[in-house]
Amino acid sequence: MFDSILNLLLKQIFGQPFLLMAIIVFIGYIAMKQKVSKAFVGALKASIGILVMGLGSSALISNFGKLLTALQNATGIQGAGLNTYPTMTASYEKMDEVLGIGTGATWGIYTLLVGFILNLVLVALRKFTKIRAVYLTGNAMIVQAGISTYIVWRFLGLGMLPTVFIAAVVTALYWGICSTLLIKPTKEITNADFTVAHQQMFVSYLAYKVAPKLGSSEKDDIEKKKMPQALNFLQDNIIATALVMFISVTIIFLVIGTEQIEWLRGAEGLNQTGLLNNIVFLIWIAVTLTANIVVLLYGVRMFVGELMLSFKGISERLLPGAVAGVDCAALFAFAPKSVVLGLLFGALGQIIGLLGLLLFKSPIFLVPGFIPLFFDNATIGIFANKFGGWKAAAIICTLNGMIQIFGSVLAVKMMELSWWQGSADYATLWVAIIAFFKFIGSLFGIPVAG
Amino acid sequence: MINILCVCGNGMGTSTILKITVKNICDQNGIEANVESCSFGEALSYITTTDLVLTSPEWAGMLPPNDALIVETKNLIDKKEVAEALINALEAHFSQELSK
Repeated sequence: MFDSILNLLLKQIFGQPFLLMAIIVFIGYIAMKQKVSKAFVGALKASIGILVMGLGSSALISNFGKLLTALQNATGIQGAGLNTYPTMTASYEKMDEVLGIGTGATWGIYTLLVGFILNLVLVALRKFTKIRAVYLTGNAMIVQAGISTYIVWRFLGLGMLPTVFIAAVVTALYWGICSTLLIKPTKEITNADFTVAHQQMFVSYLAYKVAPKLGSSEKDDIEKKKMPQALNFLQDNIIATALVMFISVTIIFLVIGTEQIEWLRGAEGLNQTGLLNNIVFLIWIAVTLTANIVVLLYGVRMFVGELMLSFKGISERLLPGAVAGVDCAALFAFAPKSVVLGLLFGALGQIIGLLGLLLFKSPIFLVPGFIPLFFDNATIGIFANKFGGWKAAAIICTLNGMIQIFGSVLAVKMMELSWWQGSADYATLWVAIIAFFKFIGSLFGIPVAG
Repeated sequence: MINILCVCGNGMGTSTILKITVKNICDQNGIEANVESCSFGEALSYITTTDLVLTSPEWAGMLPPNDALIVETKNLIDKKEVAEALINALEAHFSQELSK
C-alpha cells in the first residue's frame, strides 16, 4: 500500500515532466498569493507547453537526424546542428534511452529548481561570495540545467540525487559568477540596474576586457554612425532561421549527391515521395525544419512564461537587493547597430570556421543555427563596440564565430549528441567543464553512460 | 478588456519579463487586460486582435502594418519606465479602460 502510493508520487506524478512543471507553476502562483483559478490556468498552460515542446522537438530531432544520416552515408562525416533548445531535448532523449521515458526532463527540471535555489543562496551570502545577480532567464535556465544534468550523468554515471545536486552546483555557480561579472559593463551601456543572464556572459566579459586594447570607443562607436536599414530583416528570428536552414540544406544536398537525396525522399528517409523536384524537396526540408523549431519555441514559451513569473516573484520577495539577470535581448534596444554588426561578423567567423572544418578534414561537421549565431554575436558585439568601437567589435565577433564552430566540434566529440548549444560560453568555458567531468570520470574508471 | 501584446526579438526572454511587468501594472491599476508576448516575426498572427503593442523603438519600426496603438520604451525591463509609457498611452487612447 505504502509502496504503491510512493510509486504513484515519484514515478507517476513527480516523474512526469508535464505534471511536475504544472505543480511547480501552481505552487509558484500560490506562493505569490494569486487566486487559485489563476494558478490552475497557469499550471495547465505550463503542462500543455511541455508537451508542445516535445512535439516540436521530436519532429525536429527525427527530421534533422535523417539529414545527418544521409550526410554520414555519403561522406562518413558525423553532423550536428547548433541550436539551444534541441540540445536540451536531445540530452533528455539520451537519458531516456537508458533510464526510461521522461527521466531526462524530470532530472533536468529538478536541476533547474535546485540550481535556482542555490543561486538565491549564493546571492543571500553575497558578503562572502561576491555574487549579486539572480539569473532569471527561464528559457536559458531550463536548457542549461538539462545539459548540465546530462554532462554529469554521462561521465559520472550517478543516480538521480547526486547527479541533480552536482549539476545544480555547477550551473548555479556559472549563473551567479558570470552574470555578476557583467553588472558593471551593462550599467555603462544601459544606465539601468540589470545584468545579462544568458549563454555568452563569459565571452562578453572577455570582449569587455579586450576591446579597449583593439580600438577606441571614443571615435569608432558604431551607434553614432549611419548604417543601412536594409539588413534589419535578418533580425526576424523565423525568417533568419529559415534562411540559415535553406543554405545549410542546400550545402548538404550538394555534398550528399543524388543517391542519398533519393534515400531521403524515400520511406526510410523523410517519406516525401510526392516531392519529385529536388528544389521543391529542398525547400520543403528547410521550411519543415523551421516549422519544427517554431513549434518547439512556442511550447518553451508557454511554460517558461509561467515559470519566470514565479521565479521573479520569489526572488523579489526573498532578495530585494539582488540584481536581476535577464535575457541578452534586453540590451538590444540600447545598441541596435551593434546588434547587426555583431550578427554580420559572427556569421563571417562561422563561415571561416566551417571552411576550416572542411579544410582540416574534420570528422565532424556542424550546421549553424540562428540562436547562437544571432544572440551571442549581437551581445558580444554590443560590449565590444561600447568599450572598443566597431573595429574591435568586428575583430572580436569574427573570432567568436570561429570559436563557436571549433569549440562546438570539441563539445560534440565529447558529448556525442546530434545537437549542440553552439553559444559562445558553451564553445569555451563549458567545453572545459565537460573535459573536466570527462577526466574525473575516466580517473575513477567510470564507463560513459549513453 | 484591453488586449496588450509585448514584442521583442525572439519572443522569449525580454517580452516574457515585459509581460509579467505589464500584468502587474494592470493588476495594480485595476485594468482588465489580456497580455500576450511574442517575437516581432510572429507579431502578424496576433496583431489583428491586439489593441496596444508594447515594444522598444528598435522592434517597433519592423512590425507589420497594423491598426494597434504602438507604445515604445527603450528599457523594456524597467518597471517605472514601462508603467509610465503604458499608463500615459491608456489615458490618452483608452481612458474608458482606466475609469472602470
